[in-house]
Amino acid sequence: MTDATVQQDHVTKATRRGLSEPVFAWALIAPALVFIGFIVAWPLLETIRLSFTDATLGGESYIGLKNYVDLFNSDKFYDIVGRTFYWMFLSVTLKLVMGLIGACLLNAAIPGKALFRILIMPPWVIPIAIGVIGWKWMYNGYFGLISGLLQEFGILDERIALLSTKTSAFYSAIVTDVWVGTPMVTLFFLAAMQGVSRDLYEAAWVDGAGRWYRFRRITIPQIMPVIVSMALLSAIWTFNSFEIIWILTEGGPRGATTTLIIDTYKVAISSQRFGEGAARAVVIVVLLALFSLAYLYFLNRVNRHYGAK
Amino acid sequence: MKHIKTLTVAAALMGASALSAQAQELHFIMCGGEVRPADQKVIDDFIAAHAGVTVNMEAVEWGTCQDKSMQLAAAGDPPSIAYMGSRTLRQLAKNDLIVPVTFTAEEEANFQPGVLSTVSSGGQYWGIPHAFSTKALYMNCAVIEAAGAECKAPATWEELVALAKTVTDNTDAAGIGIAGKDFDNTMHMFLDFLYSNDGVVFDAEGKPALDSANTRETLQLYADLLPYMESGPTEWERDQMKDLFNDGQIAMYVTGPWGKGQHAEKVPTQLIAPIPHGPSGDSGSILITDSIAVFKGSGHEELAIELAKALTSGAAQYDLDSSWGLTPILDYEKLGMTDVYYKADPWPIFVANIKSGGPEPMVEDFKSLQAVFTNMVQGIMLGEGSVDELVTAAGEELAAVR
Repeated sequence: MTDATVQQDHVTKATRRGLSEPVFAWALIAPALVFIGFIVAWPLLETIRLSFTDATLGGESYIGLKNYVDLFNSDKFYDIVGRTFYWMFLSVTLKLVMGLIGACLLNAAIPGKALFRILIMPPWVIPIAIGVIGWKWMYNGYFGLISGLLQEFGILDERIALLSTKTSAFYSAIVTDVWVGTPMVTLFFLAAMQGVSRDLYEAAWVDGAGRWYRFRRITIPQIMPVIVSMALLSAIWTFNSFEIIWILTEGGPRGATTTLIIDTYKVAISSQRFGEGAARAVVIVVLLALFSLAYLYFLNRVNRHYGAK
Repeated sequence: MKHIKTLTVAAALMGASALSAQAQELHFIMCGGEVRPADQKVIDDFIAAHAGVTVNMEAVEWGTCQDKSMQLAAAGDPPSIAYMGSRTLRQLAKNDLIVPVTFTAEEEANFQPGVLSTVSSGGQYWGIPHAFSTKALYMNCAVIEAAGAECKAPATWEELVALAKTVTDNTDAAGIGIAGKDFDNTMHMFLDFLYSNDGVVFDAEGKPALDSANTRETLQLYADLLPYMESGPTEWERDQMKDLFNDGQIAMYVTGPWGKGQHAEKVPTQLIAPIPHGPSGDSGSILITDSIAVFKGSGHEELAIELAKALTSGAAQYDLDSSWGLTPILDYEKLGMTDVYYKADPWPIFVANIKSGGPEPMVEDFKSLQAVFTNMVQGIMLGEGSVDELVTAAGEELAAVR
């Protein structure tokens, strides 16, 4: 009996018991809907409701749009939004570029490539907190590896505390975020590259196409849907990246690494201003939703352009 | 027979309810990550003296403890009792989550000056102070003498800056360690110096008073010390500095009485001195207390207050203070004790600045208060404004803190 026949048989039995096909279908997906409603929709609606209140530890009262008005009238908020998008753009770009380079190297016919594929995993496999604490130690001016090596090789005369100034703290956090995020991107790109037909390369090679040409005109177009998908996922994860920044700098110094998610945590959890925090959380949802819609539109166009379904 | 059965069931139910009324479990959250032996002894005695009462101790690290207690209370499942920073009391009181505490006139008189101000808000006391600290300047004499200077306590800020410069110029060590991280003790250390310059955060009427000449002088001290501080001061909080001090990387820093024990092994030649005073004041210190608060809604508030009073009674408190190296929270001589531990060196330094010290400010939103100070201090460390601009901005930010 084929799958289709089994399915038809179930539907027929359900219909015989008095359930119409649509009702039967809804009954099947109801558990999933209830589950999603409980863990996604209800918290989201509750967050939206809270954002219209002045909720703190002691209680709450309705204050209309005040949280949003205060937020949009704050210069600091726009600084944080700008910083968050810059953080996301830079980090995602670096992850994609490094992931692409890494995937090409791992896809090349080199001896011991299986070992290299394993070696790329640790940043992704070990708990983020452990890895980031390691980086925090390396960035330290007194006991850190980076400052020590730079002095040892005569590149620097004095210690450098990379998390102590605004610029160096921001870019140090980016480096750590890229370190954590690149392995996954690399493995996805590698999987996509391995799915590209060898025939295309051989035909191009017969026609005299060089490596760079084959990469540009075969590899990139063939894996473009994966690149775009990874860019979207990575952008969302990076936008909401919390633990890396929190462990390294807690958003400092002087707010230099405070992104929207860090600001939301500080307001909602540290200062216990739940209403104001909820307003920030809603803004994050809206910004990410808009960003995702734009990206999905772009993804569709890319897929159409490259003939993917 | 039927009546006998009914009566038996009723008696059993009444007995069970009487037992459950007697069997009470106090949930005690102890911030700091451990239950100190002196406290455990009191708790054990308390349990022994109250049949059917148990105390469920939960020791939680400082980093998350206070948030945990507050969120449990806000969620309607409060601990019975918690040992936490006194700075949180105002927020808890304002939100009606803890019960007020009363002291007899005699009990009030037994506290050291200024201690009860750290737990009072709106004319009531909201916790029982249980740990107290004042601060002093620690000097690594080996480093200072290696710089060619005499290991003598600087009395004024000018002398402090000069000594820090000498060390920085003549050794590989930094002259002084100053906390600048986004952390509470960045504010505490600044207040140590501000209170040593007769400054205040709020005036006697509770109005913000940070925007003052005293604060400007204090921030100017930080600007003057900047070239002689540890590398990257915005990365460091006070408790991490003991490692730099023990390692000979900094010659001086300010910390509490526990520092002596932390340095004893690696810096045998340490000198402990009063915090140097500024041009407008005398040597002072921030007065920080941690307190025991009793939460509303646990169902056994009176029992919890009884336990809190037992933990903070004269003899029990003395055991804790003396065994844990804390600044004496009570005037134990008034309680008839003689040969008290704080008569020996270096305790007189920590006791002397109780009178000239100032409280950790009590506000509803402590993290925002902390941010006012870290912004100001980091601003001067990162060169993002003049002293005048940064203090003016801090004054404005403080006015917005609840």
